[in-house]
Amino acid sequence: MSFKTTTEHENFRAKIREFAETEVKPIAFLLDKESRFPDDAVKKMGELGLMGIPYPKKYGGAELDIISYAIAVEELSRVDGGTGVILSAHVSLGSWPIFAYGTEEQKKKYLTPLAQGQKLAAFGLTEPEAGSDAGGTETTAVLEGDHYVLNGNKIFITNADKADTYVVFAVTDPMAGTRGISAFIIEKGWKGFTFGDHYDKLGIRSSSTAELLFSDVLVPRENLLGKEGEGFKIAMSTLDGGRIGIASQALGIAQGAYEHALEYSKERIQFGKPICQQQGISFKLADMATKLRAARLLIYSAAELKENHESYSMEAAMAKQYASDSGLEIVNDALQIFGGTGYLKGMEVERAYRDAKICTIYEGTNEIQRVVIAAHITDKLSNEQHAPIAKKRGPITGNRKKMIFNEGSAAERTDALVAALKGDGYDFTVGIDINTPITQAERVVSAGKGIGEKKNMSLIKELAIQSGAAIGSSRPVAETLQYVPLDRYVGMSGQKFKGNLYIACGISGAGQHLKGIKDATTIVAINTNPGAPIFKNCDYGIVGDLMEILPLLSKALNTGEAKKPAPPMVKMKRPVVKKELPQGLYVCNGCGYEYDPALGDPENDVRPGTKFDKLPEEWICPECGEDKTNFIKV
Amino acid sequence: MHCVRKVTEDLYWVGANDHRLALFENIHPIPRGVSYNSYLLLDEKTVLFDTADWSVCRQFLENIEAVLAGRPLDYLLINHVEPDHAASIEEVLLRHPETKVISNEKAFMLMRQFGFPVDGRAEEVKEGDTKAFGKHVVTFVAAPMVHWPEAMVTFDTTNGVLFSADAFGSFGALDGKLFNDEVNFDRDWIDDARRYYTNIVGKYGPHVQFLLKKAAGIDIKMICPLHGLVWRSDIGYFLDKYVKWSTYEPEDQGVLLVYASMYGNTESAASLLAAKLVEKGITKVSMYDVSSTDISYLIAETFRLSHIVLASVTYNLGIYPKMHNYLMDMKALNVQNRTVAILENGSWACTSGTLMRQFLDEQLKGITVLDDVVTLNSAMTPVQEPSMDELVNSIAESMKQ
Repeated sequence: MSFKTTTEHENFRAKIREFAETEVKPIAFLLDKESRFPDDAVKKMGELGLMGIPYPKKYGGAELDIISYAIAVEELSRVDGGTGVILSAHVSLGSWPIFAYGTEEQKKKYLTPLAQGQKLAAFGLTEPEAGSDAGGTETTAVLEGDHYVLNGNKIFITNADKADTYVVFAVTDPMAGTRGISAFIIEKGWKGFTFGDHYDKLGIRSSSTAELLFSDVLVPRENLLGKEGEGFKIAMSTLDGGRIGIASQALGIAQGAYEHALEYSKERIQFGKPICQQQGISFKLADMATKLRAARLLIYSAAELKENHESYSMEAAMAKQYASDSGLEIVNDALQIFGGTGYLKGMEVERAYRDAKICTIYEGTNEIQRVVIAAHITDKLSNEQHAPIAKKRGPITGNRKKMIFNEGSAAERTDALVAALKGDGYDFTVGIDINTPITQAERVVSAGKGIGEKKNMSLIKELAIQSGAAIGSSRPVAETLQYVPLDRYVGMSGQKFKGNLYIACGISGAGQHLKGIKDATTIVAINTNPGAPIFKNCDYGIVGDLMEILPLLSKALNTGEAKKPAPPMVKMKRPVVKKELPQGLYVCNGCGYEYDPALGDPENDVRPGTKFDKLPEEWICPECGEDKTNFIKV
Repeated sequence: MHCVRKVTEDLYWVGANDHRLALFENIHPIPRGVSYNSYLLLDEKTVLFDTADWSVCRQFLENIEAVLAGRPLDYLLINHVEPDHAASIEEVLLRHPETKVISNEKAFMLMRQFGFPVDGRAEEVKEGDTKAFGKHVVTFVAAPMVHWPEAMVTFDTTNGVLFSADAFGSFGALDGKLFNDEVNFDRDWIDDARRYYTNIVGKYGPHVQFLLKKAAGIDIKMICPLHGLVWRSDIGYFLDKYVKWSTYEPEDQGVLLVYASMYGNTESAASLLAAKLVEKGITKVSMYDVSSTDISYLIAETFRLSHIVLASVTYNLGIYPKMHNYLMDMKALNVQNRTVAILENGSWACTSGTLMRQFLDEQLKGITVLDDVVTLNSAMTPVQEPSMDELVNSIAESMKQ
């Protein structure tokens, strides 16, 4: 064999390259600068048949091989890393699980428009507590009749909110660890499915990345992908293929940077000759070319294995790990070759330098790639180890009272809220300056995107004055809408609020925001959406329209006089929340032995997380030998 | 001389009291003694319900013979094989070769293990079976793990008498009384009844619930337990206690303050804490020295009250052993649904508070440990007073919820 791509491959490459050079390259700088998604280019990619490269023609695909797909991602990334990942996330992550695990109906309904490029796909696995460890998944799907009810949120989701079709992973059996995770096909626009903040990223800024928020989303039963409990398997096998895409992206970014550096090194004259003639630079270029070739061969080899339906999990991990690690070295060297010029905005190597970094992080960090590789080359032990049980975690802000005022008129509800706050010891005759820094504020009234137009900020200001609070906001209100200065947004990446009273107005409760207020003594939520995560993280809540509620609340808090300066802050104590009892316990009628599903019965090969009714029929009490039927539910 | 009492028509109490036994089950002090209740039914057939401990066997035998008055003993019905009720089986059977023994499969297995000779005269019954002795027809209800696996209760469908085995029993000798309406139960008996239940049956709340659910379907007129008083009135009062105990719900909103003090410094701080609680209006405060209070009393109080303050010195870089023992007994008896506050003391490396919190969090179920903690270095000083006031506030707050 020749270790060479075929003529067809190279013709295909030429076609993609031409597209990328004409359609993407001219706007790449602007896309990066403005974090703008290349809608037109993506549409044209669909028309060119790039969105379904490896899928059968009967589902609208191009029916090309995996190497062709790798070439496409590589060539797009060569001019713009962001555009490369749009394709990779669409083909490998969003579409592939439907192709591999979908029913015929699901493939017809969902895969076909995706492969034809009429729709865009995305993949929702990562959560605040589930990065490398998918076992920490907290999004839940509860079967109720013909529907699953989906609740939770997913972070860092590539192609959100542009995508139409999302493959989302959620826990259907909380006691079963990773074996309790299932996959679902979710459509954009379904009730309760919204998007959180767009991320302001270091690189790949032309790709869209946002948070997925699910609040009582009704998912038809037929949108379960594969079987219940297969989600983890589906996710892992999807990521195996996705790694070929990300490796290709890393390769493309590095290839582009290398080409620019090579060209520049031939033109740049120092000490009387082109710097590529200087040994220091020529050796760099030699190393870069070597690494590129090694990475490319690793990728194509993995792609070929996959194409031939051979095991490729380890090889894909090797390709992803090597291509992205060496890719970082290559873009670093490329920028170095450019010297000070490369450090300037607008230079491709500067963008490549930033774009390349993500490739060592997403779709399995390179540390996880090494875990995968090591598991293959040592023994299977690490694969066979029992998956740890996802510990049931509470809301991000801790256990809160979650008292929602929903009785009576809007005025009665706001009055009830004020009465509760006064009952907790809040004195509304005193107040702080509305410009008090968030970190020093005893109280903060924060505006979220739900506030709407900028003029409505006057309602926030009035409420801040009447409640004796400083003004804060969610990130998009400061960053995107720019209603308040950047130093007034509250969240893990912004200012952390550690005072007593936090009133969140029109804030849905993205994870990073909630982490920024978890030390608040009292959290009040006002939002139109009863399923917003903020309500699971609040002490008091009112579901309602801000335009109606905020003026009423301000009125109820108005003492008729200006607030007196507040005394130095005394941190108020959080109310005690009762510890919950373990669930699913059974006790033996023969001896009182207690079966706890969280512990299982390891001596008898019963995994932790096994529910009592899932115990094998032949299982007997490990203490006295009574059979299963002689247990009673606690 | 025999000493018996008529329970109701055809039914006689033929048990006996024991005042000389210091430790019930060789572990729980019984300063008020204990009664071993056995009942004899005179119908067309004669039926003895359970026997008595070996220590009172002679009195017991005299009582049986007096009530039988020369009649044969047709049946011995065994609800529970624990030797405080079953030890006299052999002697009864020796004296009455005509007697058949009625019990369940598991009970017979245990009788054989203990060496009570029932072979050839065993009549095995199971839950739901009925047995007629003339006009009295009884039915059997399994009561597994209340508090032994073979335990069952027998219900006389004719007169509504429930032979409840160890359920609804109590420490305390009867001393002539027999019925709950012959004593001031809520003043003189409830503490021993609680101490009996919580220490003997406390762990098996789900099993007690299971039995109570089954018993809810029958019209009980009288409860004849194997220890303590016979209930013929106000049964709802005692049932309510059983519901609370078996679901681990406190009877009273109040504070149990258990302290471990070597030289009185922790005790002094505990006293101050108690005073502050009472000043705050929390008057239901019970305070015990863990070193000098038998643990059975602590467990009973733990089941009674909603809040617990653990005040412990550090000992060998750990929890004071007696306090540790109390914690382990709480775990063993399945104590749950309590709110706990911690006061710790240590002169050079104070670890007891952290360790107690960890034990409560990890080893017990549904125990809410308040965040506030009072930490003493040897002795209470005004420096720690604000933290004690905070703790008192937190206890008061959590009591409001």
